[in-house]
Amino acid sequence: MFTSNSTRQNSLLVSLKIKLSKLLLQPTFLIGVILVIILSYLVIAPIVSIFSNSVSLTMMDAMLSGGKDGEFTYKYVDRVFTSSISEKIFWIPLKNSLTVSFFATLIALTLGLILASLVTSTNIFGRKYLGFLLIIPYMLPSQAMATAWLTMFKNRKISGPQGMLESFGITPPDWLAYGPLPISICMALSYFPFAFLLFSSALGKIDIQLEEVASTFGAKTKAIWLKIILPLLIPTTMSVLLLTVARTLGTFATPYILGTPAKYTLLSTSLYSSVRSNDSGVVAVIAIVLSLIGVMLLLVDIWVVRKWQRFVTVGGKGIKRQPSKLGIFRMPTTFFAWVIFLIAALGPFIVLALSTLMREPGNFSFSNFGLAYWTGVNVPGMDQPGIFTSPEVITALKNSFLIAGSASIICGILGLLIGYAVVRLPGTLISSFLRQISFLPYLMPGLAFAAAYLSLFAISRGPIPALYGSISLLILVMVVTYLPYASRSGISAMMQVGPEPEEAGMVLGAGFWRRIISILAPLQKSALIIAIILPFITGMKELSLVVMLVTPGTELLTTQSIRFLDFGYTQLANATILIIGVVVMISVLILNRVTKTNLASGLGG
Amino acid sequence: MSEIKLKELIKNFGGNSIAVDNLSEVFPDGEFVCLLGPSGCGKTTTLRMIAGLETPDSGEILHGDKIFFSSKTGELVKTENRNLGLMFQSYALWPHMTVYKNIIFGLDMQKKTSEEKEKRYLELEKLFHLENFRDRYPSELSGGQQQRVALARMLAIKPSLLLLDEPLSNLDSSLRLEMRSELKRLHQSIGCTIIFVTHDQMEAMTLATLIAVMNNGKIEQIDKPMEIYNNPKSLFVAKFVGSPQMNIINTDKDKELALCLSNKLNIQKNSVKNFGVRPESIKMVKNNEGDINAIIETIQPTGADWIIGLNIFNKSLFLISSDHPIAKENESVGVIFKSEGCHSFDSQDLRIHKN
Repeated sequence: MFTSNSTRQNSLLVSLKIKLSKLLLQPTFLIGVILVIILSYLVIAPIVSIFSNSVSLTMMDAMLSGGKDGEFTYKYVDRVFTSSISEKIFWIPLKNSLTVSFFATLIALTLGLILASLVTSTNIFGRKYLGFLLIIPYMLPSQAMATAWLTMFKNRKISGPQGMLESFGITPPDWLAYGPLPISICMALSYFPFAFLLFSSALGKIDIQLEEVASTFGAKTKAIWLKIILPLLIPTTMSVLLLTVARTLGTFATPYILGTPAKYTLLSTSLYSSVRSNDSGVVAVIAIVLSLIGVMLLLVDIWVVRKWQRFVTVGGKGIKRQPSKLGIFRMPTTFFAWVIFLIAALGPFIVLALSTLMREPGNFSFSNFGLAYWTGVNVPGMDQPGIFTSPEVITALKNSFLIAGSASIICGILGLLIGYAVVRLPGTLISSFLRQISFLPYLMPGLAFAAAYLSLFAISRGPIPALYGSISLLILVMVVTYLPYASRSGISAMMQVGPEPEEAGMVLGAGFWRRIISILAPLQKSALIIAIILPFITGMKELSLVVMLVTPGTELLTTQSIRFLDFGYTQLANATILIIGVVVMISVLILNRVTKTNLASGLGG
Repeated sequence: MSEIKLKELIKNFGGNSIAVDNLSEVFPDGEFVCLLGPSGCGKTTTLRMIAGLETPDSGEILHGDKIFFSSKTGELVKTENRNLGLMFQSYALWPHMTVYKNIIFGLDMQKKTSEEKEKRYLELEKLFHLENFRDRYPSELSGGQQQRVALARMLAIKPSLLLLDEPLSNLDSSLRLEMRSELKRLHQSIGCTIIFVTHDQMEAMTLATLIAVMNNGKIEQIDKPMEIYNNPKSLFVAKFVGSPQMNIINTDKDKELALCLSNKLNIQKNSVKNFGVRPESIKMVKNNEGDINAIIETIQPTGADWIIGLNIFNKSLFLISSDHPIAKENESVGVIFKSEGCHSFDSQDLRIHKN
């Protein structure tokens, strides 16, 4: 009896010893465990917190109504859905959001499809350049389009400098200056490049032989498009549709800039005003609604992709479609494509730049031009220093670089680490958990996620201090929001390399850290650079995620431009946006250098 | 003494079948051992466990008197400290390092001086004809050159054991022949133990001094190549080694042919489930002059030989012969079975020894 007990103990010890030496031999496991712990807190905690916030009484309301702080309550759910103000804070914004999303998506989809077809398959003039130029709007921050619109069409309804048209003596009507029409158009112009990209790549993937077969039966170009190409694009269309809707619902800048003057509220701006009025229960409920819509759209997208699987064409021989000759339509279509480029990409740039160079809007006399708004000398009616000397802008510039920079570096490294752990620990619980959890933030719109972070880090919890008002909170929320993209690219980068280069090093006596430094890191160098620059670009443009979390002193360029607008300093706002545009363009150029490919394919975020 | 000893080795990946099933074997010092078997038979897993890239569930691995792994004592030596050479099917040359950097990597790990590294590099450069490639990157080399770099990299640290994982399967056939003789020459000159994994029986036959045929995580037979060919222990080994494959005659399905063979081999037909006949052990003679008559179905010239498809009572057989066929397709010929290439297998698929 005694002996059998001791052998059992002994064998337990031995198997423990093997497990331990395996662990030391494979620090991957440790890395995986650490990642699981960190991500659980950063991803799951905010979600839990927002759900609990939606049904627990805040301290303020507890004092007012005599309840207990943190008590379970349906008060906020009622307030959002059934109370007398529910109309104002939820139902009308919901209706407005859906209306705007519908029109914006419709326009974006149509533009994307037409332009993609023209550029990939016809002989319009300049098709080589259009392929790149038409994605520029995608690189601009979403408020660029909106502020440019405002600069152009603004009327006397709101304060600040005159709109450009008005200074020519034309007063634009309210419906053209503010509200659903401009919001839909601006969103459509910001998001059509996404549709353009997806349609272009789908058109490129259709096996040309499918069309050639049809032409052997005597089908003309028109028939081929109607009977073969367009039907094959149905799954892509569905995807574009759902993803664009999701995107427009989460957009904050456009409705804030163009909707507020007309009191036209969308869900995103309603959520923002609830945050500003410290109504955390309502914030939580609206954020949950936004996330649920996001989840729903994603599920539908997954379902559509699955259902239309049979439409996926297996790659042909890679022969490019012959551009079809447009004949008499060649000039009009060319004109159309370039006009879109002009309105969506070049236009905002010119309008924004002009507005910062002219002392008085609309006065094109030579003496009226100058760098006054940039250098801050002798500006009529301005009590603000110029861009180059403004302490706010300089702080915001520093913060933007610091926050987007650190977030993207952390994100890039984290993404590759997750990739490493997921790929090297195949079939384990850690691997699948990491894969799932790093994807979770994708389901929540930035606004909702920010709301969750706001409630989570407003006070200190256990060892984690209250981070509200700090730069670290902004970095953290950016890292977590961009994690889905980072981890996906990290996983695929690690998959591509495979275990063999590392194993070859192992056999020759290289330890874990040595392998990472001498073999893995150099092999993943360009993947890492891409994994850093992509989130950096998104981070520089980011507004909806950070707008609720910034405080004076932690403003970013994007939020600073909104502040300037709030105070009526249109030119300063425009100049700030131009700075963002320039930084993003330079980053894109660097990225193109590094990857030696078109950035287009990588801009999924 | 640096033989490789495997004791009751078990590895299970959690699928339906066990990858390596209670494997016990000794690979003697200095042999060129070939692990041969179909994909999924556990040969690569065995190799990777010897290399330390996989950890067995239980059992022991010993190299000489050095314990690599033991589930009894809990010992586990890291791959880095096993001092062995491993060559991958993909070669796994590091694309970001030059040929020189790739080859001296192992010496770097051993913190050798630059004179030592240079000296060893020059030796290897000469041995593998890599002059002028020093500063090239792997992507600038042909398949054969890459393979020689991989060999040189493996040998740079003078390992006491070489493990090769299907190193020839990425090469075209003419290069393969060349590399086979290169490997054989290498084994003769350095004399260390080599364990080689392949699914190609031809490669195994030509290279190995010892072949271990694996099936379902077990070694079915380990023997010298010609021994494996001439005296297969089981139906599986008999079928796996040899091309064209051995003709299998089932005693239930092909009764007439089975009867003919049992008479010829002088063996009780009842105890036999299958007969196996090597293609080169069938000889064609004039009609009615052989053991049995057959009809020629196909004639495939390979240049040196003729592969002839025969039909005997609706059973298709192949024979290989260097003689010009004596008849045309659809004509009838006589057939003689040579007893040294004919085997019989019992109901457990084990070979019945001839008296």
